[in-house]
Amino acid sequence: MITKENIDAYIDKIPPSPEILNETIALLRVGDLVKAAKVAQNDLALKSYLKSIVNKPIYGFKNEVSDVGQIFGILGVSLAQQSVYNYMISLLNPKKWVLFKLNSSLFHDLQANLSKKWENILKHLGCKDTNVYAAITLLSASIIVAEALFAQKEENVALLRSAKALDYNTILVRLCGMGLFDICGEIAQKWDMHPKIAQIIQAASGVKPSEDNEINNFGKWMHLLLFYELSQPEFIAAGLNDFVDFQPEYINDIYEDFASLMEIA
Amino acid sequence: MKAVVKDGIAVFSPQGFLDGNSSNAFMSLEDIEAATHIKSDMILVSLKKVVFFNRNGLDIFVKLFAKIRKKNQAVVGFCDYDRKKYEAIKKFFHDELNFSLFKTLEIAHLFSPSFKNLGKNILLYSGDKSQRSAMAIELHDGGHNPVVAQSFEEFTAKAANKNAYDYIIDSTFLGQMGQKVAARVTGNAIIYTITSFLDADIGENFNIEYHNNSLNVGFRLFIFDAYKVISMNIHALNFFSKLASSGAEYNATICFVGMKFDKTPLVFKETMEDAGILFYEQMDDILQNKELLKELGASSASNIKNKRVLNKETVSELPKFIDATVVTLEMMTNAKAMKEAASIHSLSIKDAKGKIASSIGYYGDMDGMIVLVFPEGIAKKACELLIGESTDDAELVLDTLAELVNIVGGRIKTLLADEAISVNITLPRTYQDIESLMEVVANRKGVQVDLSFNGDKFLFFLTR
Repeated sequence: MITKENIDAYIDKIPPSPEILNETIALLRVGDLVKAAKVAQNDLALKSYLKSIVNKPIYGFKNEVSDVGQIFGILGVSLAQQSVYNYMISLLNPKKWVLFKLNSSLFHDLQANLSKKWENILKHLGCKDTNVYAAITLLSASIIVAEALFAQKEENVALLRSAKALDYNTILVRLCGMGLFDICGEIAQKWDMHPKIAQIIQAASGVKPSEDNEINNFGKWMHLLLFYELSQPEFIAAGLNDFVDFQPEYINDIYEDFASLMEIA
Repeated sequence: MKAVVKDGIAVFSPQGFLDGNSSNAFMSLEDIEAATHIKSDMILVSLKKVVFFNRNGLDIFVKLFAKIRKKNQAVVGFCDYDRKKYEAIKKFFHDELNFSLFKTLEIAHLFSPSFKNLGKNILLYSGDKSQRSAMAIELHDGGHNPVVAQSFEEFTAKAANKNAYDYIIDSTFLGQMGQKVAARVTGNAIIYTITSFLDADIGENFNIEYHNNSLNVGFRLFIFDAYKVISMNIHALNFFSKLASSGAEYNATICFVGMKFDKTPLVFKETMEDAGILFYEQMDDILQNKELLKELGASSASNIKNKRVLNKETVSELPKFIDATVVTLEMMTNAKAMKEAASIHSLSIKDAKGKIASSIGYYGDMDGMIVLVFPEGIAKKACELLIGESTDDAELVLDTLAELVNIVGGRIKTLLADEAISVNITLPRTYQDIESLMEVVANRKGVQVDLSFNGDKFLFFLTR
C-alpha cells in the first residue's frame, strides 16, 4: 500500500526552506525582531499568513494588526519564530484535502489554537526555550504527512479500518517501520530545525517516550493538547480525532494539571 | 464515526474529550442511521481512549442506544472504563440506566452469544444483588461457570487468587439484554439457544439472515438448545416447520435438544418430525456421537444446493474477484502479486500439509464462494498488518485470516456495486487444515488461480 520508497520520495520532494525564511529565523534566533520583520515583509505570502494568524479570535487583539514589525513586536521572539515555522509547515499543505475534510482556513485555525494553547502551557511550566515554543509547529505537519501519503489510498484504508481500528501512524509503522512522527523528524532535519524539536515531537506521538525527562514531559503535554484540540467538533468532523492513537496512560500523571490549566470542568 | 465489528460486537472508539460540543460531531446523522442497521449481538462505545466525559458528552450515545434497541434489540452500552468512570456513568444516568456497562471489552464478550470459548471460570461481584443474579444467570446460560461473591470482602479475598479464575468481573452492569435467539458455532454445527414461551416473536428474534448466511457458507447441522423452552404455540410451530422446509433444499438438518412437551401439544412434535426436525434429549447425544454427527452432516459441511457449475456471469466478473484479492493481499503485505496460472477444475492442492484456508460466500444478483489457501507462513505474513507483530498463535492467525477474507469480500461487494450488481457477503470461515476445507469444496468445479507474492505462493479458488 505504502512503501518506504514512497516515504523517501515524499521527503525528497519537500523543498528546502526558502532563503527569506532562513534569514528571518536566523535573526529571530539572535533576538533581532526589527531586522527579522524587515526581512520577513519581503515575502508577501508570509506577511499575509502572519496577518491572518494573529488576527484570529484566539489571539484576542481588539484592532487589526497588519504590519509585520508590529506583529513580531506583539508576539515576541519565541512566538514570532513559532509563527514563521507554522508558515513553513503550511507551505506543505495540499491544494485539495481528500483524506481529511480540511481546508487552508481550518488548518490555520488548528495551527493557531495549538500554538496559543502551547504558549499557555509553556508559561505554566515556566519554560522560555524558543525551540520548545517552536516544537508545536511540527505537530500539525503530521496531519499533512498523513494526508499526502494516504489520500490516494483512501478506499484501502477505509476497508482496513472497517476490520480493525488502526490509526494512520500504526498502519505506516507496520507497513514501513517508520511513522508519521518519524517523517516529521525528517522534515525538521531537512529544515535545520533544532534537534530538540524533533525529539519533543517523537515523544508527543505517545508511543515513543523520551528517556530525557524534560523532553518526555513536554511530549506528554503536547500529546494531551493534540487530543484536546482534536476533540473540538470542527476537527472531529474533519476526521482528525482518530488519525493517531491517543495514549491516556502516557498522560495520566499530568492530566489533572492540564485540566485545571484549560479549565475543564 | 464508524464502528468496527468483530465477533458479533460492534465497537465505537471515540478519543480524547467527550462533552456536549464534541459528541454531536462524533456521531453525524448518517453515522447514527448506519449504526441502527449494524447487525451484531452488541453495539458498544469504548471509553478506553476517552480521558474526560460529562453527561452531555454521553447523551448522544445514550440516545443512539435507545434508537438501536427500538430497531434491533442488540445489547447496547459502554465498555473499557475504570472504577471512577463507572461511578460517574451510574451517577449521571441512575434513574434511566437502560444500557449495559462492561468494565472491559473482554468482559462484554463473555455475555455475547457469539463468544466461542465456553466453560470459563468467572468470579463476579456487584453491590446490587439483583445484578449479581442477572449476571450469573446470563453467564450460566452462555455456558460458563460463574462464581458469585456475596460481599466485597469475599470478592477481594477470592480475586486475590487470580489463577483460580479465567475472568474476574466487577464494575459491570447489565441493562436490557438482547432478546435475539443466541447462536454459536461448534465445529461445523450451529447451536441456537431458545428459551421460555415461543410464539410469533420468534420470527422477529431469530436472525434469519445469519441462518441463511450459514447455509450459504456450507453449514448443514443446526441444533436448537431448547432445555429452557416452557412451551410453544402454533405460530412458533409454523416458523420451525418453514425453517426446516427451506433448509431441506440445502440438505440441512435441524435438531431440537431438551425440548419438553408437557405444556406443548404432543401433536406439535409429530408435525415438526414430519417437517424433518429431529429430537434429542441431551446435547451430548449429538455432539459426542461422531457417527451421528457424520450422519447429520456436521462433519461434512458441503451441501447439495451449492453444487452448481460456474456460469458465464461469474466467469465474466472473475477479474474483479481476482483483483479484489490481489489488491487486498498487496495492501496487507506491501508486496507485488504475480498471477502464475489459472484453470477450471476441482480444487487441487499440492502438499496440503501446513496449509490453512479461509472462505467467504456472496449472494444476491450473483452467488458463489471465494476460497484462499495459504501456506501457514504466508498467512502469518499477510496478517501481520492487522495483528501488529509476527505470531505463532494459530487461533489468532485463523481469526485474523477471517478478517482478511472479510476485507476481500467487502472489496468485491464494492467492485460489483460499481456495475450495479448487488451482492451481500456471508460470514467468513476459516479452515485449520486442507482436509476440513475439502469437506466443503470437494468435487466442486471452479476457477483456480495460483498467485505469488515475492515468490511466496498462495491459491485463489472461485466456485459456486
